[in-house]
Amino acid sequence: MDAPVQDKVKVDIRNLSFYYGTSQALKSITLPLLDRKVTAFIGPSGCGKSTLLRVMNRIYELYPRQRAEGEVMLDGENILDSGQDINLLRSRVGMVFQKPTPFPMTIYDNIAFGIKLYERMPRSELDGRIEVALQRAALWGEVKNKLRESGLSLSGGQQQRLCIARTVATKPEIILLDEPCSAPDPISTAKIEELIDELSNEYTIVIVTHNMQQASRTSDYTAFMYLGELVEYGPTEKIFTAPDNKRTEQYITGRFG
Amino acid sequence: MNRRLYAKRKGFNALFLTLSVLAAVFGLVWLALILGELCYNGFSSLSVRLFTEMTPTSGAEGGLLNAIVGSLMMSAIAVAAGTPLGLMAGTYLAEYGRHTRLAFLVRFVNDILLSAPSIVTGLFIYEIVVTKMGHFSGWAGAAALTVIVIPVVVRTTENMLLLVPNGLREAAAALGAPRSSVIRAVTWRAARAGILTGVLLAIARISGETAPLLFTALNNQFWSTNLNAPIASLPYVIYYFAMSADEGWHRLAWAGALLITATVLSLSIIARILESSKRS
Repeated sequence: MDAPVQDKVKVDIRNLSFYYGTSQALKSITLPLLDRKVTAFIGPSGCGKSTLLRVMNRIYELYPRQRAEGEVMLDGENILDSGQDINLLRSRVGMVFQKPTPFPMTIYDNIAFGIKLYERMPRSELDGRIEVALQRAALWGEVKNKLRESGLSLSGGQQQRLCIARTVATKPEIILLDEPCSAPDPISTAKIEELIDELSNEYTIVIVTHNMQQASRTSDYTAFMYLGELVEYGPTEKIFTAPDNKRTEQYITGRFG
Repeated sequence: MNRRLYAKRKGFNALFLTLSVLAAVFGLVWLALILGELCYNGFSSLSVRLFTEMTPTSGAEGGLLNAIVGSLMMSAIAVAAGTPLGLMAGTYLAEYGRHTRLAFLVRFVNDILLSAPSIVTGLFIYEIVVTKMGHFSGWAGAAALTVIVIPVVVRTTENMLLLVPNGLREAAAALGAPRSSVIRAVTWRAARAGILTGVLLAIARISGETAPLLFTALNNQFWSTNLNAPIASLPYVIYYFAMSADEGWHRLAWAGALLITATVLSLSIIARILESSKRS
């Protein structure tokens, strides 16, 4: 197998603060995200873990009065710089949301939409890309005979896997997952977790989750957040077995949160 | 439990229910009477000649062909011109402007336009088109109807786009789609049924408008598709014929009224179906 290499930092978050209007949601977060590793953000509701995720593709900018301060270095470049092309950034940093968000178009077009934004290719190649994406999201078998049907016709769990397929299809470098398994059924959840495991060979993945087992099952590193602050960060195994911080331990063992 | 209080409440409820039902029935009775009268007189005046012959002179026999065609032409132009304008303006309000000062202003002016008496619209077009051209024309009529279509489409487009969940916009933007792609490929599509409903309602609205045509398109007793000249329209013909003493003209007016009502009714029904199919 490959020789062990030093884990490379893909995203370096430095002194990041975030504000919704005047209320501060993130307080000077400093955190690395390692290349081709899965990092889980855990913490009670309102601790800022989703907010932190939404900074990394600057999706918060769709709304007025939300702003970020500090640095988020992606491969050495600060994505918060005003000169950054925000659409290009988002094509590199994909995101899957808590609620499935299929577009009101066919299953095929749902995936083709993202690909066609930045690439031109012959139809046969596009067909291939779509098949691969659906296979990776463990959805191909269920939809291969109804690619021309509306994405809205799928079940909740299938819709979420469609959204994952859509994100994977555009070949981002980083995939952000915002509680991707809060809606799906147990079988879809299992499939999505398997998928995360597989994707982590190629992508840098960040997952926000409320589910402790899921965090421990899927991630390599875990960050525990509380009230907008990063309380503890480290290898998942260490966080879940021997956390340094008392609050982390209390949260993980279910005594608060 | 205070029985007397409860009995009093029940009594009051019965009274309230009775009054509400009576009010509803009162309203519906008039509608039924109008429709009944219209159908009785309208159907008895219907004939193939309506669609094959021109409006007659007093005392002669004839149809409504020139008026039907005139109405169709002016409505088609108004919808063709008003829909894209209304769609783009509504899109600006819902997608780009939303909280800006300009959007606030546009929304306010649009609401005024929406409720402005249509005779004012007619006067306005008379001032800026008819007096400049020096004569009445189909173009002026179409322009007046366009001014009525635009605010209806702006309003429904904005409302329907606001109903599209932000999650959908976020999901499309998160793939790296620029704003315009998000709008064209995703939010317009999600709101399509609602926007189409708005256009249908705008057509229904202008198909019965008489006031804006009175001193813009005026009327034309003969066959004409020349938009640079006065042109006939159903509402105008109904207005003109119904006021006369000529029995034949009366019957044509009834038939015209039935045609317009049937058109508006079917448009409303289609709009309802579209709206309910969107929800399911």
